[in-house]
Amino acid sequence: MTDKSTEELVVDSVKAKFPEDVIDAKVQRKNRVSISVRGNKIYDIGLFLRDELGFDHIASVSGIDYIDAKEFEVIYYVWSMDKKVLVGLRTKIPRDNPTLKSLVDVWEGGLYHEREIWEMFGIKFEGHPNLSLLLLPEDWDGPPPLRKDFVLPETHQERLEEKIKKLSGG
Amino acid sequence: MLEKVGKSLMSIKLLRKVFNWGRAWSLWSVHLETGCCGPEDMARACARFDTERFGTLPFPTLRECDLIFVTGFVTKKMAKRLKIVYEQMPEPKYVIAIGHCAISGGLWWDSYSVVQGVDEIIPVDVYVPGCPPRPEAWIQGIRMLQEKIAKEGVKKK
Amino acid sequence: MSVMKLSIGPQHPISAHFRFLLDVDGDVVLKLEPDIGYTHRGIEKLAEKRTYLQNLPVIERVNSYCDSAGTMLGYLEAIEEVMGLKVPERAKYLRVIAAELNRIASHLYAASLFSVATGLETMLMWTINDRELILDLLERLTGQRITYTYQTIGGVRFDMPDGFKEEALKRLDYLEKRTEDYYKMLLWNHTFQIRARKVGILKPSDAIKLGIVGPNLRASGVRADVRKDEPYEVYDKFDFSIPTGKNGDSYDRLEVRFKEVEQSIQILRQAIKDIPKGPIKKWTQPIVPQGEAYTRVEAARGEFGYYLVSDGTMKPYRLKITPPSFRNLIALPHLCRNVPLGDIPIIYISLDLIPMDVDR
Repeated sequence: MTDKSTEELVVDSVKAKFPEDVIDAKVQRKNRVSISVRGNKIYDIGLFLRDELGFDHIASVSGIDYIDAKEFEVIYYVWSMDKKVLVGLRTKIPRDNPTLKSLVDVWEGGLYHEREIWEMFGIKFEGHPNLSLLLLPEDWDGPPPLRKDFVLPETHQERLEEKIKKLSGG
Repeated sequence: MLEKVGKSLMSIKLLRKVFNWGRAWSLWSVHLETGCCGPEDMARACARFDTERFGTLPFPTLRECDLIFVTGFVTKKMAKRLKIVYEQMPEPKYVIAIGHCAISGGLWWDSYSVVQGVDEIIPVDVYVPGCPPRPEAWIQGIRMLQEKIAKEGVKKK
Repeated sequence: MSVMKLSIGPQHPISAHFRFLLDVDGDVVLKLEPDIGYTHRGIEKLAEKRTYLQNLPVIERVNSYCDSAGTMLGYLEAIEEVMGLKVPERAKYLRVIAAELNRIASHLYAASLFSVATGLETMLMWTINDRELILDLLERLTGQRITYTYQTIGGVRFDMPDGFKEEALKRLDYLEKRTEDYYKMLLWNHTFQIRARKVGILKPSDAIKLGIVGPNLRASGVRADVRKDEPYEVYDKFDFSIPTGKNGDSYDRLEVRFKEVEQSIQILRQAIKDIPKGPIKKWTQPIVPQGEAYTRVEAARGEFGYYLVSDGTMKPYRLKITPPSFRNLIALPHLCRNVPLGDIPIIYISLDLIPMDVDR
């Protein structure tokens, strides 16, 4: 009977504590665990990961736009110094009204990460202290840039024509 | 009255040559880095390539500088500040655009927040291509600017 | 008590491409808020529009300031993990050589900025000059001084030229002797010690809670390094240690960087001696199947995280880059509370934040 690896123990503890809210929890490879949960329970599962299992070092927060399935996915990557495992805590939210509870109280280091996702995707984080423009210019009035329906110029010719028009005072 | 005296003095070829020589060999540059050609800015100012022997000294106060090196790409957020810096410098002032991205957008030709060439914002005197240009190319750019200054007359503004 | 709002803008000798908004009462800074975004190019959006091979120069310029080789490794590891591609041994050694040479150059650049912030201009000249020796080696290996595009999918582009090994070992011996000079002239210098000791103390518990990485975390006493936690390339074959600091102040952050330079010299000597013969590139068409991967690499400033989602086409569906300076940025408002105004440049430069890293 082989011992379970650290990653499998993490998966088992989360599944045991939140049996209905965890949609899918699996070991992807060595040092990588992926846990997919419902959006309204992500705060409690985050607290459990931090306090009970020792995942207190936030690595990254990322958003993905699945335009065909009409949803966004937000993933919190957190690392544990003792276990040396990276957990990807992910949840899917609807694309037409994207809101999620902010996890700044759980992992303080996610302050700027969540602000950037708000700016780039338009996902509102409830409870975040300061959701304002971070990287984009102050007078940005376009849609959130990382959404798939914001399209960049396809050819250099389009860009050149814009520049010629601007330089000739058009 | 003084302006007339100044203009008539500058029309004397020898005096104009002396003024232009003084101007060309003491170009003080502004401490403003806009993009990733920045470390070459440090490298060319230090002991190995030493552009200070050509008179270009990075100087902290804007009001006493007369040269801007636009090192690399300029984003729309930085473009406003670049224009303010350019307007605060006293005449005569010169601009050297360093790198492909400052000349025409470069690698970021389709980016939503990069200005496609800094000559959309401020007038440029010398263009130095490269990604990033070697310090020897910077020195050639400075020398070209010096030759350009040596040939100019009274700057009308 | 009257609070004045001060703005140290992007045109400033010390602030690089950042702007700081300070609340100042007399000579004491009450609060600092960084204003970033002056070098934002939207690299994540551009990466979705270009193929995997076309992305190589774009990703490299996330941090072309001094660490291109370390930046590229994470992106390539993510692609190779999703593809299941095995890189030849000689290519792995060459990648490690380029990355470690870059680490030394980057730490010397950080030391140069630190010394000019404390007023020791001679050390600026010394460090930039020694960095030139390393850039010469890199130019011999890759052809460029700071933006190489040397590593590619499946290996590296050029092989080590003749005479590189001897020249490299000679320069590394010189650098090792020079590090002792740096201890005497820079780190043990009385002026430097007064300005840098006990300034900006970051406690280890705070550092872990905020998500700090790199030499900043190690200076607070936490022994965390991706090269030992999750060895990638051939780092598990080398014998090196992870230096840590004791107090977590600005002095420790610079001392850890110099100790890492010494460790990098050890790694380079072992790599140059043990590099095997063989091919340098396994050329395949980068057809990446559906899948995702999160890879971590240890660049000079800390841990780079790359999250790649691929949908089977020639272009990535989503590439998320988490640079170390973006994660370290939150230390700046945390440390700059109730400090004298003269300490702000020291704290900012000791954290070694590169604005192009932060903004991408």
